[in-house]
Amino acid sequence: MTGTSYATTINDLPDVILSTIISTISAVRSRNAAALVCRKWLLLERSTRTSLTLRGNARDLFMIPSCFRSVTHLDLSLLSPWGHPLLSSSATAADPSLVAHLLHQAFPAVTSLTIYARGPSTLQLLALHWPQLKQVKLVRWHQRPQLPSGSDFTPLFDNCQGLNSLDLSSFYCWTEDICPALESYPVISAKLTHLNLLNPSLSEGFKAHELGDVTRACPNLKEFLVACIFDPRYIGFVGDETLLSIVTNCPKLCVLHLADTAAMVSARSNTNGEGFSPEDARITIATLIEVFTGLPLLEELVLDLCNNVRESGPALEVLNSKCPKLRLLKLGHFHGICMPVESKLDGIALCQGLRSLSIRDVADLTDFGLIAIGRGCSRLTKFEVQGCNKITVKGLRTLTSLLHRTLVDVKIAFCKNLGATSSLKALEPIQHRIQQLHIDCVWASEEQFENLDGGEYNFDIYKLDDGCDLRRPANFMKFDGDGTDYDGSCPKKKKCKVSYDLNFSDIQVNGNGIGYANGSEQYGKTWDRLRYLSLWIPVGELLTPLAAAGLEDCPYLEEIWIKVEGDCRHLSKPSERDFGLSSLFLYPSLSKMHLDCGDTIGYAHTAPSGQMDLSLWERFYLIGIGVLSLTELDYWPPQDRDVNQRSLSLPAAGLLQECRMLRKLFIHGTAHEHFMMFLLRIPNLRDVQLREDYYPAPENDMSTEMRADSCSRFEDALNRRIFD
Amino acid sequence: MGQTLLDALNVRLVGSGKKFLVLAHGFGTDQSAWQRILPYFLPNYKVILYDLVCAGSVNPDYFDFRRYTSLDAYVDDLLRILDALGVDRCAYVGHSVSAMIGILASIRRPRFFSKLILIGASPRFLNDPDYHGGFEQAEIEKVFSAMEANYEAWVSGFAPLAVGGDVPAAVREFSRTLFNMRPDITLFVSRTVFNSDLRGVLGLVRVPCCIIQTAKDVSVPASVATYLESHLGGRNTVEMLNIEGHLPHLSAPALLAQVLLRALSR
Repeated sequence: MTGTSYATTINDLPDVILSTIISTISAVRSRNAAALVCRKWLLLERSTRTSLTLRGNARDLFMIPSCFRSVTHLDLSLLSPWGHPLLSSSATAADPSLVAHLLHQAFPAVTSLTIYARGPSTLQLLALHWPQLKQVKLVRWHQRPQLPSGSDFTPLFDNCQGLNSLDLSSFYCWTEDICPALESYPVISAKLTHLNLLNPSLSEGFKAHELGDVTRACPNLKEFLVACIFDPRYIGFVGDETLLSIVTNCPKLCVLHLADTAAMVSARSNTNGEGFSPEDARITIATLIEVFTGLPLLEELVLDLCNNVRESGPALEVLNSKCPKLRLLKLGHFHGICMPVESKLDGIALCQGLRSLSIRDVADLTDFGLIAIGRGCSRLTKFEVQGCNKITVKGLRTLTSLLHRTLVDVKIAFCKNLGATSSLKALEPIQHRIQQLHIDCVWASEEQFENLDGGEYNFDIYKLDDGCDLRRPANFMKFDGDGTDYDGSCPKKKKCKVSYDLNFSDIQVNGNGIGYANGSEQYGKTWDRLRYLSLWIPVGELLTPLAAAGLEDCPYLEEIWIKVEGDCRHLSKPSERDFGLSSLFLYPSLSKMHLDCGDTIGYAHTAPSGQMDLSLWERFYLIGIGVLSLTELDYWPPQDRDVNQRSLSLPAAGLLQECRMLRKLFIHGTAHEHFMMFLLRIPNLRDVQLREDYYPAPENDMSTEMRADSCSRFEDALNRRIFD
Repeated sequence: MGQTLLDALNVRLVGSGKKFLVLAHGFGTDQSAWQRILPYFLPNYKVILYDLVCAGSVNPDYFDFRRYTSLDAYVDDLLRILDALGVDRCAYVGHSVSAMIGILASIRRPRFFSKLILIGASPRFLNDPDYHGGFEQAEIEKVFSAMEANYEAWVSGFAPLAVGGDVPAAVREFSRTLFNMRPDITLFVSRTVFNSDLRGVLGLVRVPCCIIQTAKDVSVPASVATYLESHLGGRNTVEMLNIEGHLPHLSAPALLAQVLLRALSR
């Protein structure tokens, strides 16, 4: 045997196995790479690709490739120009029925469709060709056309008798469009199992009687998400009766998501000094208990209210027994959810099965409540707390150390005592395992802790309780057979002894396996597993203090979401020249960013003397972004509400152009053509789109930035470049 | 060229009246600047909107640097549009540089315009020993250096970073929208604007003019409005608006609309 021995490669596997392997790949770029290996792999990849998002200009649809015949989920909502009225006879040069036919030829197996439906004409042709559609998501951020109510849904309901899932969460229409449509098509409504009506653009949400009508029409719903109003000052508010009728009409629900429209629009709540909203919701504990009793299959429950539900603890106590499958719970303005007396767990702390808990605006939640939650909901992987002004770093830190085995996703927002530094201090016990994190960038100067080192950061939970001796491991920290112990080295039945020290730097676990070593020198500021960071920052504040607050070392942080909010019309020029994006350079793996200045309001052209136009603010925010090696960027420009303008300015275009590694750029607003042309200098830029996904999206006529022709010219120029 | 011009400059004809009305925007904005004024006129006029060739919404390839060396080329465009639409008589509202374009157009076609409404107009921006245009040479130089910096950066492939807020306060209000154009076009166009001097031809205008000036426009002094009133050849009126800024159609549209309605009815 000389020299040429052929090693066995993956290509030697039988086709069937190779096909199965390739079918498990979900990442698009990996699939594209696999398809380039050889003809066999190309065919295998194409025949196993089930999900496809089409990007490209709508006028080029006649060039759709025909090799993706196995696609079952097709997303047509991102075609260029954004919000294009697809298949309407005025829009395209080509005959719309021909294009529809081509789409059907290319994708014969589609059962799940996401599509931008400017009007019913889009679906009129497509639904004819795809009668087998089961899941449909409609997208529309433009104004609803002047047509009789429900016309948007007629083509769909007429043709797709197998429809079982309808998602209208990004579709602007009126609530009056939906109920009559569902009632006119009883066969379809009876088959619907998933209905998502959680649309932030609805100013008023669904009224009580509409909820009743919808649920009566769709008794087989398993997943129901809807925006409604709980404020009793409004006509049609949701109260006890409505909740009970939902439960009676749809007993099979496993996902129920009721959100107040006010909660969807803004994060901050309107509360008085005590943390209570002005009006109480008309929801009683007895009703809640009946609701829970009536939905034994419930797995996810969201009741995101902006009105108080007081003393809700007793209702939540029965949740665990009535809804044993419940894994995700989100509550807004539910008070009294956890008011432990001594060490007895109560309220929500009794819901041991929960994996994800999100609580907002609980006026009376204290540190003791947090600790009880930490002890009782011992399997939480995700915990979110917002607007709770009585909790402090002590309670939260004790909670995270209690949940240190499972907790990987935490959000802390708008809690008066928990600015950036305190939040990060509270997360130290899970510093080495947390993967996703949200904090507010509130650099309060009161957060100079006097007792920083060696001070009390945890409660001494031994002292909390007189009766039960928590030092006995048998009562505490039972590791059951779930296998959620990621370390795995602590065998199932063995009970590990846990002790808590008052010094913040020590959490010792004796016994095998999980050992944070003793001593603070091991306890560096490294966030080993943090992949995703989300920040909220008021307009005018700087980002630079972030590292000093405790996030110096995040070696694997790859994605960051920054939301800037506020009214800069009241602000004078910031003291620093730049916001501080370049300070994110210290996260070496950072490659994706969402920079959301969409809720920053200012003057586009009409700033009075002494104030800054939005162009200057954009420059302030974006300076330094070129230093980071971002490959994907989503950017929401600040807006001038008076003229409904969210537009890229000259310095913004220039600064975005400095991101030399960018491959994908999505701007959620408008931009002049000559500003977009700046971006062509980015060498590897492949995918750019202006996505005006806010209501109302500008109609092309009046907003002259980025007309359809400009869009096409820009994309042609983008695609004409040759890549090495 | 008629149809291509109408497409290229995004010409729109809307409204259901009998008389024609042209709304012409200034440098750096585009016809969407009129969006809050427009509703007041739709019932009674056929409104013609278009974009100047240097507007951000127009394909920059159409900006011919050899052609648009003076305001006359812009006047050509305006008149060609009106001819292509078959307009024989109209009222005209022009902001800033479009006011000057309107003045020149009315000299070329004396019986074409029934009324000229000039918002934020100035026949010459630079001060003279006996004329107060509002700007000193030094201030204008600052604007030019900011634009030249942008231009050089643009040419070398760097980010243009100077904005309307970086120039002296006196010039800021007027020039902040200039920075919205592409750097080479901006530099070129600002030279055209600051070099133009229409004082000599004002007397040739025979059309009645209404000169609208904001009281707190840092850039265009009140004396310019009176200068125009006394030097334009026709029957002129001046309306002083008690609002701030150079862009009243953006900052105070309701107030401006009332003034426009009154002026057009006379």
